[in-house]
Amino acid sequence: MKIKSKLMTATICLASIASSSIADNIKVGFNVPLTGFAAADGTSALNGAELAVEQINTAGGINGNMMELVVYDDQASPKEAVPIAQKLIESDNVVAAVSGSYSGATRAAAGIFQESGVPYISAYAIHPDITRAGDYVFRTSFVGEVQGRAGAKLAGEMLGLKKAVVVTLQNDFGKSLVAGFKEVSANYGIEIVGEYEYSIKDRQFGPIVSKIRADNPDVIYATGYFFTAGPLVSQLRAAGINTTIIGQEGYDSQKFIDIAGPAAEGTIITTSLDRDSTAVETQDFITAFEAKSGNKTDMVAASAHTAIKVLAAALQSSGDADKAALRDAIAGTQLTASTGEISFNGLGEVQKSVQVQVVKDGQWHHHSVIHDAALLAPPTE
Amino acid sequence: MAYEITLITTMAISILFALSLNFITGFCGQISLGHAAFMGVGAYTSAVMLKAGFPFLFTIPFAGTFAGLLGILVGFASLRVRHDFLAITTMGVVFLFVGLVRQQEFLGGEIGISGIRGSPFGRIGFMYICLGLAAVFAMFSLAVKRSWMGYVFASIADNEDISRVLGIDVSKYKLIAFVVGTSTAGIAGALYTQHFRFVGPDSFGFVESVTVLAMVIVGGIGSVWGVAVAAAFLSVMPLLFQFVNDFKILVYGGLLFCMMRWAPDGLAGIVSRWIKRLRSTS
Amino acid sequence: MLYLELFFQGIVQGSIYALIALGLTLVYGLLRILHVAHAALFTLGGYLGVIITNATGSFLLATAVAMIVVGFVGIAVYKLAYEPLLSKPPFISLIASIALFIASEEIFRIIFGPYGLSYTNPPMQGYFELFGGFFLKYGEALVIALSVVMLVILGWFAAATRLGVSWRATVTDPDMARAFGINTQNVRYMNFFIGSALAAAAGVFVAMLNNLVEPSMGSVASYKALAIIVLGGLGSIRGTLIAAMAIGIIESFGTIYIGHLLDRDALAFAFLIVVLMIRPQGLLGAK
Repeated sequence: MKIKSKLMTATICLASIASSSIADNIKVGFNVPLTGFAAADGTSALNGAELAVEQINTAGGINGNMMELVVYDDQASPKEAVPIAQKLIESDNVVAAVSGSYSGATRAAAGIFQESGVPYISAYAIHPDITRAGDYVFRTSFVGEVQGRAGAKLAGEMLGLKKAVVVTLQNDFGKSLVAGFKEVSANYGIEIVGEYEYSIKDRQFGPIVSKIRADNPDVIYATGYFFTAGPLVSQLRAAGINTTIIGQEGYDSQKFIDIAGPAAEGTIITTSLDRDSTAVETQDFITAFEAKSGNKTDMVAASAHTAIKVLAAALQSSGDADKAALRDAIAGTQLTASTGEISFNGLGEVQKSVQVQVVKDGQWHHHSVIHDAALLAPPTE
Repeated sequence: MAYEITLITTMAISILFALSLNFITGFCGQISLGHAAFMGVGAYTSAVMLKAGFPFLFTIPFAGTFAGLLGILVGFASLRVRHDFLAITTMGVVFLFVGLVRQQEFLGGEIGISGIRGSPFGRIGFMYICLGLAAVFAMFSLAVKRSWMGYVFASIADNEDISRVLGIDVSKYKLIAFVVGTSTAGIAGALYTQHFRFVGPDSFGFVESVTVLAMVIVGGIGSVWGVAVAAAFLSVMPLLFQFVNDFKILVYGGLLFCMMRWAPDGLAGIVSRWIKRLRSTS
Repeated sequence: MLYLELFFQGIVQGSIYALIALGLTLVYGLLRILHVAHAALFTLGGYLGVIITNATGSFLLATAVAMIVVGFVGIAVYKLAYEPLLSKPPFISLIASIALFIASEEIFRIIFGPYGLSYTNPPMQGYFELFGGFFLKYGEALVIALSVVMLVILGWFAAATRLGVSWRATVTDPDMARAFGINTQNVRYMNFFIGSALAAAAGVFVAMLNNLVEPSMGSVASYKALAIIVLGGLGSIRGTLIAAMAIGIIESFGTIYIGHLLDRDALAFAFLIVVLMIRPQGLLGAK
């Protein structure tokens, strides 16, 4: 009898340990482009997110449980993102999710997460409608228009450059940045003497370079990603055009400097990552990321890292409670992350200062910070 | 359950889309590399109308009509150019479509149209609508195939010049095929809009046109059930193949290539050869 | 000056298009196949150009090696993909070609990574400034010069050498050529070798102008080159060259002045469709 009952107790103990260790992991969904045209950014974002998860788990996890990232490749396509969102919610039972993907996919997925009451954080996608999907959707990076406005202040007021040429990447990222720039450019005395557009597939900017030379501006406000901005800046400098170039967080990668080479010197961008920051979180992130991935950090990695950290903090404070409580915890975030002070307004948009970085000696460095709360106010509805 | 429902709905929409191309390509022998443009016209029409408040079912005939109108236009253009030129002309159509759409603010520009409300029939109801429409068109295709019109199409597909000599008004039938195929693609577009609740300029481009053509060819050009099966499988393949993650697209390209290399008459061809072999042994 | 510069930019882009489209036209002329996978050879040329230049420091050596290696890869593509499908309807080889191209982009990404490669010491930086106000970069001038050289050599080869003449004969009438004892198999190999080598050169030039090679750099070339050979009149070499320049120049002016209405690709295709409606056989195609 005694042996039997001991055996039973032992079995029950083992069973409960086994089941509790399975139930231990907190699953967080992560949709990211790992193949297709956006694979470069997706790979970085995944590295940033994985680093965050590693750091959290090494520090003891969330209330003793380990965080687990459930990753799916959405090819930056809305068509793929929708079923992925559903799979995460139903098959994988994630408690929340983060988007490491571009706007189209994020917007499509956001609707699904909102409907199912699962909190969703967009790491770096800038489409304004993403947060309008509902109160379960948040964004840890700037809306395009906000960053564009910052660029206008930087050019017109802080640098005193008044004659501008605007080069727009023909997608939601480029267009919303330029919309923000043009919205307030007159307030800073900026005259736009030329406006040109290019497609995300373009790498050859000969005609635009020639035209810009004819326009003879004081400053070039060019939107793009590192793989378009790198060639553009390189070609501008190779043609002898030494005008100041202002970019945005799409440039924010060491790859931009690799491609443009010495031509990258002096390029200024508005972004969220300050590599010279003395803040512990930022420096820790930069060091850890370079150690883990072997690459230098970039904006998408930092943003994904921030989004996971925000989620983790909210999970920590909301405890084992339900998703509605988690949502409230996220909404009440006050966190210092690698990309700055994170807190959300009613729409789920983040309000933070804009970092300005410049390329010096082949590296990104601190240039200045823009702290204008009125100018940088994100949308509230 | 919602995940499986989504998959089935996606498959149904792809089947309808692929069958609509099969009508043009399979029945009438005209290779179109721009079929996604017609789905796009239907999708955007439906999206704009849905945002304006019209009920979903009401948008379907409009989606089909506008797509069909573009189809007539392209159909006339196709009459002027020779076979090989047609493929590239249709390719041009889809690039023009995307290029124009992304610059129109009333169509959402680069950002597209989002926040489209869900189907009033619920997820399951909508799935049945999609399956129903796909089934109806499949039966329609089969009926046409067996009818005298089907014979005319087959003759044109086989040899256009001889058909003309035989007194067939080749132009008229080509146009008919184009209009039927493109308006149905437009209807598939309306379903797409309601299903994904987001349309953008990147959703209906050259890649999508190639993908649907691949579905038709892998299924076996002209074979209604072959194309349906191929469409169902290929449309959800990326999701089924998530476990290969990094190599998904490579697997897709490889599979497609192997099909062309070793089974160019598609699934229909494989099955019919198999059946023949079974029959000959029995 | 601006208009002259834009014109020359169009010529630069047109030269690159010409080098790529020529290979496509050669294959079509011989086999009636739309060789979409050609763009993969362009990409391969670009990657080899960067890798060899970074390893050896010599841009010209890299160009030569890239052209030769890719030439042979082109032959391999013919043997692997097209030879077995010659008896099938042309859309089969079209889809096979597209499948090959899709797979190739992924292979490049898997082997070389998604970020792309750049030169450690970008060659040909700097520019000419001619007759007060006209600027042309060294790289751009080199592209035009080398393209002209290659095309002249090709033209001489086709007209004046035995190999070239037998090649033209095979294109015009394969059966007759075979009857005269010409080895059509070898002619096909040569066809693919030359076309692929030219595409590789284009890849190297593009890599030099942009200082970036990426897995997807061939995607535009894959369909743009098709548009160009159709515009020129399928199978006509002279037509292809003219079409390539025309598209280059139209894109150059169009992206500046009507770029807000249509993007680059839409411009090129709009032009193509307009021409085809007026002349359905293309600019220099046979009626």
